[in-house]
Amino acid sequence: MALFILEDAAGIGNDQIDTFQAFIDCVIIANDDGVGLNDPAGGRQQVTYARTENGPPQLRLDALVNTTFTPDYGSGPQQVDTVVIPGLAGFTLDDGTDFRHNGTALAPNSSGLAGASLNTTEFCLVIYDTQQNICVARQGSGDIDLPISNPVVLYHEFSHAFRIVNNGLLALTGECDPSSPEENAAITDENDLRTQIANRQGETPALRDPGIHCGAVGCDGGCCIIATVASKSLNSKQIQFLRSVRDHFVRSTEVGYAFFQKFFYDYYSFSPQVCTIMVGNPEIPGHLLEGYINPLLDFWKVMIERSGNNFSDAELGAAFVRHHPDRAAAQSRLEALQSTVAYWMQEETEGNSAPAELLTLLRERAWPSEYMQWALVAPVRIYHDVLTRYLAGADEAAIGRAFNNELDTWAPEIPISDVWAALSAEEVVKELEFCENVLLQSPASKKRFHQRLLDRFADITSVDVVLNGLTANAGVVQ
Amino acid sequence: MKGRDTKPDDLKASIEAVEPRPGYTDEKTGKKTPGELELVVRMKNDADRALHYISDVRATRYDPNTKILTVALSDEGREVIPGAIMKLPVFRRIDPGSTAEIHITVPDRIIKLSRNAPPGEIAFETHPLSEAREVVVEIAWAEVPYYKDTRGKDDNRLPAARWEQHKARSTKPMRGGGRTPKK
Repeated sequence: MALFILEDAAGIGNDQIDTFQAFIDCVIIANDDGVGLNDPAGGRQQVTYARTENGPPQLRLDALVNTTFTPDYGSGPQQVDTVVIPGLAGFTLDDGTDFRHNGTALAPNSSGLAGASLNTTEFCLVIYDTQQNICVARQGSGDIDLPISNPVVLYHEFSHAFRIVNNGLLALTGECDPSSPEENAAITDENDLRTQIANRQGETPALRDPGIHCGAVGCDGGCCIIATVASKSLNSKQIQFLRSVRDHFVRSTEVGYAFFQKFFYDYYSFSPQVCTIMVGNPEIPGHLLEGYINPLLDFWKVMIERSGNNFSDAELGAAFVRHHPDRAAAQSRLEALQSTVAYWMQEETEGNSAPAELLTLLRERAWPSEYMQWALVAPVRIYHDVLTRYLAGADEAAIGRAFNNELDTWAPEIPISDVWAALSAEEVVKELEFCENVLLQSPASKKRFHQRLLDRFADITSVDVVLNGLTANAGVVQ
Repeated sequence: MKGRDTKPDDLKASIEAVEPRPGYTDEKTGKKTPGELELVVRMKNDADRALHYISDVRATRYDPNTKILTVALSDEGREVIPGAIMKLPVFRRIDPGSTAEIHITVPDRIIKLSRNAPPGEIAFETHPLSEAREVVVEIAWAEVPYYKDTRGKDDNRLPAARWEQHKARSTKPMRGGGRTPKK
């Protein structure tokens, strides 16, 4: 007896624990079908494992499952089993720490080891969030941009658990950079599983830096699930561009970061289901890529070129034309846009409910979101209008004038997040400068955006000082 | 010119609203998204210098006897335990004489390990926060920004607990008034 997954317990219902996910994570660690679960007993299901592979993750799992551990924490040997508590929303330790987007391994209460006083049992408890979205430090760069999946979180905690049940816990410190000896050891073990999973998938392993234990919530390393599936790779040029726009162009600012926090919340309420629908409907990715994602990318490419340049109509029109040197390709792009719209709008046909199912999903989850409307819907509509004008033979000045007019209407309606109210006056100025440089280039769009900020945060000092200061100095806000 | 000394109550906090956000179950995946409470906290800096504070929830504590929910934007009292990642707090600055507002969320229930489980068993206590009579928000702040402490030390507190100088506190009665909701 050694490793269990909690299935039920007094004080909670059995529908509140993600037992199945923990089992799946164990299967992924083992990478074979030798992992099993015994019938529930005492609210726990014992993990069984007949190992067939000899990698470090398999040997570690084998040891945890098939060894009876009897550490001596100072009062004689005692049997210590490990119990996994997966995905218990709202779980909080006595010191107030919760496990949203995290995991831990707690030593038995009587062990006296770090965290033991927070464990009310004599089990070693492995607790983790099965819906986490966290980022850790990437080996090589040290950047906090490396995603950590459920099996990897569980395996990291198994590393701690292994040393706890062997009474070999290493030193822990409050600092995350450099990481403590205990966390360094767990990350080193974690990299064994990362390497093995990458090798199974024929990819180059992306490893975590054992010297840095710091992390952050909100990794979203996949960047854009729809685009990933549509372009069939996490490293396609489309994905790299979207990631670059997100991290260096928008999310590098407080307001941009807050925007993406809300955007991700809405986006991931429907995009995984779009992927599921795409798996059973292989024609959809092509429609999405050519008729939606590539137009969206082209829109943002022109916007990036425009930012900081304060283009005249003719210059903006020239930039658009420069991005579409091949008229035949531009015509194909317009047809793909129209074909995608027609595909999505088609009536449900016998044996293929995909477009209707997709439309229902988008109608219920995507379109009501102001973030989706502003960032994903309106840009493609603007792009469609400008491309149509270009292909109809308009000159660069006319194309640019139409483009600028549409941007002046669209840009200042960007959803305003609560973070503006928490900024200092200096930060408000800095964020405004960024917004105006990137998005709000005309006096009309600046005026509209300032007014929206004032309407929303009339009694917030920093916003009031900055914008009324602008009013006094520049007469921007009436 | 040297300004006046900062006082412990120079950063004032006021809970403006506590709003429940119901959870939901995704019909397709069956995954449950738990409900949350959103708190809107207004702050005012009465000092003549900028103050720096933690703006995300670091700990949530509920006392079922007093029915007081404490939402701590502070690492004081939190233990160093083994774990997947260490998340530093989100720090913000508020200018002298300024107001600011932050929105924070906590789960709408707290589940803790029970200390009354029979030997060899695991049991929990579930506390729906709709039962709370009062909510207290504590916000750690200091006169200087957070910087990593580069000294060698045997102080095992979390880094932000070593940084904080004071806490701004606000208390607000909960709308539920401590009633247990009907099942």
